[in-house]
Amino acid sequence: MAHIPDGFLSAPVIAATAAVSAASLAVAVQRSRRTLEEREAPILGAATAFVFAAQMLNFPLGAGTSAHLLGGVLVAVLVGPWSGMLVLFAVLLVQALLFQDGGIAALGANTLNVAVIGGGVGFVLYCWVLGLTGDGSRRRMVAAGLAAFASTTLVGVAVAGELALSDTVPLVPALAAVGGGHLLVGVGEGVLTGAILALVARSRPGLIAAHGTAERGLQPWAYVVLLTSAGLAVAAAYIASARPDALEATLRGLGVSDSATSYLQSPLAGYAAPIGGAWIAAIVGVLVVFLVIWTFVRFGAKRRVSS
Amino acid sequence: MSFHHLDQYATTASPITRATPTARVVGTVTLACGAALLPLGAWIPLLALFTLVVFIAAVAHLPARAIIARMSGPFVFVLVASAGLLFLVPGNAVGRIGPVTISDAGLERFGFVLGRATVALGAAVVLVSTTTFPQLLGAFRQLRLPVVVTTSLALAYRLVYLLVDEMERLQRAAKSRNAGGGNASRRRLLIGVTAAGLARAFARGERTHRAMLARGYQGEVVALESLRWDALQGVLVAGLVVVVLATVLFAHVAP
Amino acid sequence: MTPILAFEAVSFDYPDGTPALERVTFSVERGEHVALLGPTGSGKSTLLQHLNGLLMTDRGVVRIDGENVNQNSVRAVRRKVGLVFQDPNDQLFLPTLLEDVAFGPLNDGKRPAEAEALANRTLQELGLDTAGNRAAHHLSGGERRLAALATVLVSRPQVLALDEPTGDLDARSRMRLVRLLRQRDETLLVATHDLGAAQALCHRGIVLHHGTVVADARLENILADHDLLERSGLAAALDD
Repeated sequence: MAHIPDGFLSAPVIAATAAVSAASLAVAVQRSRRTLEEREAPILGAATAFVFAAQMLNFPLGAGTSAHLLGGVLVAVLVGPWSGMLVLFAVLLVQALLFQDGGIAALGANTLNVAVIGGGVGFVLYCWVLGLTGDGSRRRMVAAGLAAFASTTLVGVAVAGELALSDTVPLVPALAAVGGGHLLVGVGEGVLTGAILALVARSRPGLIAAHGTAERGLQPWAYVVLLTSAGLAVAAAYIASARPDALEATLRGLGVSDSATSYLQSPLAGYAAPIGGAWIAAIVGVLVVFLVIWTFVRFGAKRRVSS
Repeated sequence: MSFHHLDQYATTASPITRATPTARVVGTVTLACGAALLPLGAWIPLLALFTLVVFIAAVAHLPARAIIARMSGPFVFVLVASAGLLFLVPGNAVGRIGPVTISDAGLERFGFVLGRATVALGAAVVLVSTTTFPQLLGAFRQLRLPVVVTTSLALAYRLVYLLVDEMERLQRAAKSRNAGGGNASRRRLLIGVTAAGLARAFARGERTHRAMLARGYQGEVVALESLRWDALQGVLVAGLVVVVLATVLFAHVAP
Repeated sequence: MTPILAFEAVSFDYPDGTPALERVTFSVERGEHVALLGPTGSGKSTLLQHLNGLLMTDRGVVRIDGENVNQNSVRAVRRKVGLVFQDPNDQLFLPTLLEDVAFGPLNDGKRPAEAEALANRTLQELGLDTAGNRAAHHLSGGERRLAALATVLVSRPQVLALDEPTGDLDARSRMRLVRLLRQRDETLLVATHDLGAAQALCHRGIVLHHGTVVADARLENILADHDLLERSGLAAALDD
C-alpha cells in the first residue's frame, strides 16, 4: 500500500490536484492518439497488467521494511510518457475502487503524484540525463535509474506538500517523514528500474530503445516560466498556510534572520478567512502547475523516437 | 493482497446489485468524495454520511462481518499512517506515550482523519462487494473515461491473472534454489522474477495481438453495450448526490 | 471447382533467417477434413498462420477460395478463415467469455446487440451458455478450448484451422471436442500430434518435415507406412 488514502487531504487540495490531473490526462489522451498504432492496445494492456503484478511484489529493504515498485519511469520508458501516464492512471483507478489502495477522492492527488510526476516528469528527467550521458543501451538504463530515483523523491516532496497544504500535518515533519521516506524508496526504485530494464534489454533490446530522445534541457523561455511558477508556488503556499508561524519557524531554522521574517509577515498579517486563503492558494497552485506542464509540453521533450 | 480475491464478490440479489454499475460507481464516488471533502471538525456531517453508508450497505444485504473484514486491511494502514498526527500537531498536551506528547488538537485531528477515511472506505467496500470487474469496466465506459484507459484495463484483466500465475511459479522455483539466502539475494531473485514478468507480459501482449488480428481487429476495440439507466435509478442517484453535496457545503459554510 | 485452400510453392523464413517452409504445395477442396502432421518445429504453426495472413510470404502464393492472400485481401480472408491457436489463453483476452465471442462479429461491423445475440447462440451450440459472464480462468481446460473454438465459430468461417486442438485435454474433454468437430461441415485443417484424434476427424493427411511436405495422402495409408513415420519423426507419437 503506497498511495494517499482518503481522509488526509483537505477540500482545496483535493480539488486542485484533481483539476491538474484531469488536465494532464486530457493532454495525454490527445498526445498518445498521435503516436497510436494499431498495435498499441495489446501493448498497453500488457504494460497495465505488468504494473499491477509488479506493484504486488514486496521488495525487502532491510530492517523489517519493504517497498513496492511504483513503476513510473519504467512504464514511461517502455510505452512513452503519454501512454505511460494513462496506464498508471488506469492502475491507480482500479486500485482505489477495487483494492482500497489509495483513496477515491484522493485519486486526483495520487494520479498527480504517481502518473504525472512519477511517470511524466520522470520521463523528462530521463531525457535530460540521456542528454548528459549520451545515448546507448547501458546509458539508457543508468538514465532510467537516476530518473526513477529523482522522480520518486519529487513524489515524496509532492505528498508532503499536499499533506501540509491540507493542514493535516505541518510541513517540516511531513517533509522529514514522507519526503525522507520517499528518498529511501527512490533509491530502491532507481536500482530496480535500472536492473529490470537491463535484464529485459538482454532478451528484447528493441523494447528499451523505443521511446525517449536525449534532451539537452529546455529552451530559454521555459526557464523564465519555470522560475515565475516557482515564485507563485511559494506565494500560494504562504497564503494557504493558516499558521504563518510554521513558515517562520522553518525560515528561522534555515538561517533567515528575524527581521526578514517579520517583513514577510506584515503585508498579509491582516488576512482573514483561512478557508478563503486555502482556496485561493489552491487556485494559484493549479495555475502554477498548468504553467509548468504547458512549459514542458511546449518547450520541452517534444520529439519522440518510435520504432 | 491476493489478486485472486478480485472475483469473489457477494452475488446476493439486492436493489444495489440490480442497479446499473454506473449508478453504483457514481454513488460510491459521491459518498467517498463527500466524506473526504468535509473540513476538519465537521463531526455532525461526518456522522450523517456515515449513517448513509451504513444504510446503503444494509440495503445491499451485505453482512457486517464481510464489510469489516474487507475494510480491516486498509483501515489498519490508515490507522498507522494517521498515528503520527497525535503528536505532530501542536496543541495542549493531554497525555504521553513514552517520549512523545499527545496534543488535544492532535487527538481531534487524528480522530477526524480516521473518521473521514472510514466513511470513504466503507463506501468503497460496498462497491467492491457488489460489483464485478467487467461491470466496473462497463461503468467506466458509460462515464466516458478515455478509451485508452478502458481498453487497457479490459485487456489487462486476463493478462494479470496469467502473469501473476507465471510470476508466482517463477518465484517459487527461484526460492527453492535460493533457500536460506538473505535479503540481498531475495532482492536479486525478485528483480529477476519482475524482469521475467515484464518480458512475458509483452510476449503475451503480442500473442493477444495476433489473436485479435485473426478475428478482424482493425485498431479499435468495440465494446458490448452496458446496462441502461432507468428513471428511478437516475432519480435516486441524483438525490444521493444532492444530499451529499448539501451536507458538504453546509459543513464548509456553517460556523 | 476452385479449391477452398491452395498453397503454391510457398517458402518462408523466420526473421533470423532460419527456413520455416520450403516450397509447400497442396490444395484442399471444400468440406475436406485434413490432418497436418509433423513433429514440433516442422512448421505446422507457421503454415497455419499463412492461412489468414498473420504471416505473409513473397515466395509462392497462398489462395483462399481462389483469392490471393495479401495486404489488400487480408480482411476478407480473415472472415473466411478461423484460426484456433495452440494456447486457448491467447484467444480469450477479454474479461468475460461473452465479450470474447462477440469480438469477431463486432470487428466485422455488427451492432453490439446483434453481436451479443450471435455470441450467445454460439455459446449455446457448444454447451457453454451458462458461462457467458464468466472469465476464462474460471473455466476448466476443456471448457476453455471450447470457448476458444466459439470465438472463431461465431463468425461462421468457411475454413477452420486448428493448432493442436486436443492439447492437454483429459480423455473425456478430448472425446467431446472430437465429436463436436466431426459434425462440422466446414473445411478442417487440423495440425496435431494426436494421431488418434486425427484418425477420428480426418480422412487425409499432409506430413510436414523440416518445412517440406513429405507426404500428402489418405490418412490411413500414412499411418500404415512405418518407414515414413520413422523418417518424419512421428513414430513416437504412434506409440502414445
